[in-house]
Amino acid sequence: MTPEMQRLETLAERLRAIEPVVPAPAAKIRGWNQVSAAVQQSATVHSRSHSVKRLVLAAVAAALLLVAGAVAASANSLPDSALYPLKGVVERVRGVFALTPSDQLTYHLDLAQTRLTEAEAMIARHRLDLASQDLTAMSDQLANAAVLVQSEARTDPAIAADMQNRLLQAVATHDRQLAGLQGEVSNPAAQNAISQARERAAQAAQTAQASPGATTSGTNGSTDNKAKPSPTSKDQGNGSGSPHPTPKH
Amino acid sequence: MRALGKAASDDDRPLIERVRRGDQDAARTLYERYFDRIFNYAYARLGRAEDAEDLAIDTMTRSLTRLDLFQDQGVAFSSWVYRIAHNATIDHYRRHGRMTLVPLDDATLPQSADPAELAVEQLSNEDLRLALRDLTDEQQQVLILRFFQDLTATQVADIMGKSVGAVQALQHRALGSLERALQGRAVN
Repeated sequence: MTPEMQRLETLAERLRAIEPVVPAPAAKIRGWNQVSAAVQQSATVHSRSHSVKRLVLAAVAAALLLVAGAVAASANSLPDSALYPLKGVVERVRGVFALTPSDQLTYHLDLAQTRLTEAEAMIARHRLDLASQDLTAMSDQLANAAVLVQSEARTDPAIAADMQNRLLQAVATHDRQLAGLQGEVSNPAAQNAISQARERAAQAAQTAQASPGATTSGTNGSTDNKAKPSPTSKDQGNGSGSPHPTPKH
Repeated sequence: MRALGKAASDDDRPLIERVRRGDQDAARTLYERYFDRIFNYAYARLGRAEDAEDLAIDTMTRSLTRLDLFQDQGVAFSSWVYRIAHNATIDHYRRHGRMTLVPLDDATLPQSADPAELAVEQLSNEDLRLALRDLTDEQQQVLILRFFQDLTATQVADIMGKSVGAVQALQHRALGSLERALQGRAVN
C-alpha cells in the first residue's frame, strides 16, 4: 500500500469513528406526530380514491349492461313500445355494415318482413295508424330493393338475376300475407292501407323485372297480375333511406 | 460500535404494503428504522440540528405518504429514502443558500501544507465535519453514506445512481479532497 493510500485509509477509519449525532427525543416525537397524521390522511385519500374508482367502474359496467339489455329487448319491440326507437337505431347500424349489393338486398327484405310482422301486430291491437306506417315502411323497403336490383343489373347481370329472383319471391310471400290480412280486417282505412301496400309491392316487383339484363328463372306469377307501369325512382322509395317508420304514439 | 446499523431493504417490503393500507404500526416501525439515519445524514450535510430535524421529518413524511411513486423506482426502499433526503438537501441549499465551493481537486494548496504532518487522530469530530462540508455535493454524499451511514459501495451506488466502480473512484477522490481541506484548515 502506498503512503497516500495509507493516509486515506487512516482518514476513512477516522470518519468511521465519528459517533453519530442523535436527534433530540422531542424532535423525534414531533416528527412522528407529523408523519403519523400524514400517513393516516394519505391512507384515507387513497381509500376514497379507490372507492370512487370502484364506483365509477360499477356505474360504467351497469350502464353497459343496461344498454346491452335494452338493445336486446328492442329487437322484438313493436311500434307502440318505448324501446322501438332503439330498434330503428340498431337497424340503421346494421344497414351500414351491409356492404355488397346482395347483403343490402337481404337487409331491405328482412326489414320489409319485419315491418309487415309489426303491421299485423298493430292491426291486431287496433292501432291502425301505426299499422299504416309499418305498411308504408314495408313498401319503401321493397321499392329500395327493386332499385338495388336495377342498379346491379347494369354491372353484374348474373348477380342481379339472383337478386331479382329473391325479391320476387319475397314480394309474392308478402302479397299472400297481405291478402290474408286483408280478409281478416273490416275497417275501410285498414283495407285501403293494405291495398296500397300490395300495389306498391307489385310495383317493386315490376321494377325489378324491368331491369335490363336481369332475367327471372321461376318467379311466382301472383305478382304479375297486379303489375302496374314501372314507377319512377322518386315513387319507389320513401326518399329518406330510413328503414324504420316513425311511430306516433 | 455505531448506533446506526445497515439499512434494511427486503424486509421493508411487508411493512410498506401495510403502510399503504394505512397501518400506523408499520409506519412507526419504518419511521424508527430510518429517522435517526436520515437525521444523521442531514446533520452531516447541513450542520444544524434544527435544519436536520426538519429535513428528516420532511423526508420521512414524503417517504411514507408517496409510496405509490416508490413502486415505480425499482430500487430498495432505503435507497429511495436517501434519494428523497438528498433532494431535500438540495432544496434546502436552494432556499437558504450555501457556501460557494471551490473544487478541492483543483484547489491550490498552501506550500507549507505537508500531508505527512497531518495528525488525523488528533482531529476533532467537529473539524472533520466542517472540513467535510467544504467538499462538493457528490463528495460529501459518498463519504457520509459510506462512513457515517456504514453503507456498502453497492448500496451507495444504488442511491446515487452510479456504478460501483464510479462510487469507489468518487470515494477515493473525496478522501483526497477531505485531506487537503483538513490541511488547509490546519494552516489557517
